[in-house]
Amino acid sequence: MQEPVVRALGAVLSVSYATLIVWLAVSQPQSLAEVTGGLSATVGVYRVDPVAFEDGLRFFHQDQFVEARAAFTRADSAARDARTQFYIAYSYYREGWSRMRHDDTAYAEGLKALDRAIAVAPEGRIVVDDPRLQMHSADELRAELVAGQTTDASDFNPLRLFRGRK
Amino acid sequence: MTPVREAFVLPLVFLTVVLLGGLHLTTPVAIEPPSLFSLVLASLMLGVLVQTGTLDPARLMQSGRSPLANVNGLVVLITTFMATAQMLSLMTPASGLPSLALNLFFLIAILQLLAANVDRVRFLRVWAVTLLSSFTIKFILLTALSGPADRPLARALQVLVEGLTLGAFSQPVEPASSGYLAFATLALYLFGLALLPGMQRAALVRRH
Repeated sequence: MQEPVVRALGAVLSVSYATLIVWLAVSQPQSLAEVTGGLSATVGVYRVDPVAFEDGLRFFHQDQFVEARAAFTRADSAARDARTQFYIAYSYYREGWSRMRHDDTAYAEGLKALDRAIAVAPEGRIVVDDPRLQMHSADELRAELVAGQTTDASDFNPLRLFRGRK
Repeated sequence: MTPVREAFVLPLVFLTVVLLGGLHLTTPVAIEPPSLFSLVLASLMLGVLVQTGTLDPARLMQSGRSPLANVNGLVVLITTFMATAQMLSLMTPASGLPSLALNLFFLIAILQLLAANVDRVRFLRVWAVTLLSSFTIKFILLTALSGPADRPLARALQVLVEGLTLGAFSQPVEPASSGYLAFATLALYLFGLALLPGMQRAALVRRH
């Protein structure tokens, strides 16, 4: 191989490798799936597994939340799809909801999933067009999750027993 | 120095040192950049590398070389600097009194090397011993003193050290694999230093 070609290839490879290291340091992926998913999302070729997503959606609407999350996680193994992460957060909300007292642990997990969704959404904005949901945006879901974790005077209002799950 | 070594081998070796040196095998796994003080120390180390003839910048960047060759040279210089900073950061304990002591140890060692005016071979030997010493302190001595103690004597020693240093001695516990990874990274870094284009001495000519 000619010397200029070797030098040019070496420079390109070095810059690519350095960029990868910086990306790893910034994004801190925790699994190989997150590494490959993150890299493919960076170049715009990341795709959610549609079959697993449909499975997750079916379980979600049947109130089988653990199964739904397993399927959603399978569909979006790198946690790079805002819509799937939104549904995971929503599943925590519905699972943790109760007329008497909400499950703070489930709500906290829901907030984490919602933060992941917002982090990967374009401009941090998520709107899910699903008529079977009562909350369609990340803002509404966040407000509900945060309110569920705080205790205030409205928690002692007996009328809350008539409030429904969203 | 061959173009392959300059364009591929040296940058890849040093970038791998940067990657492995920043990898912390804790839960969750984290990749950390070098500390600020290690950047300062690495700047001084570049001076040592040039002064000892380990690195000859004129063989990497000069007006007589093609622009592409100068780009390769610049990449080698930058990656050498970053790998040195990462190596120093890796060999320094995370916090407390040991961190301060090892940082001072490195500063004094580098200043001594600057003052001593040693040649390339001696510098590589001294620097390898310095890094191995700090490796022993961080990954063997401090790990033994900070890790879970399974024998009464070890527990007593830990309590004694903690009491004497008012708790400024213990370090975050890292898995044993961290030590092996650090050792491999250290070996790779020293290999890279040995491959750097050094100062070429003028040949001795016998005159009759």
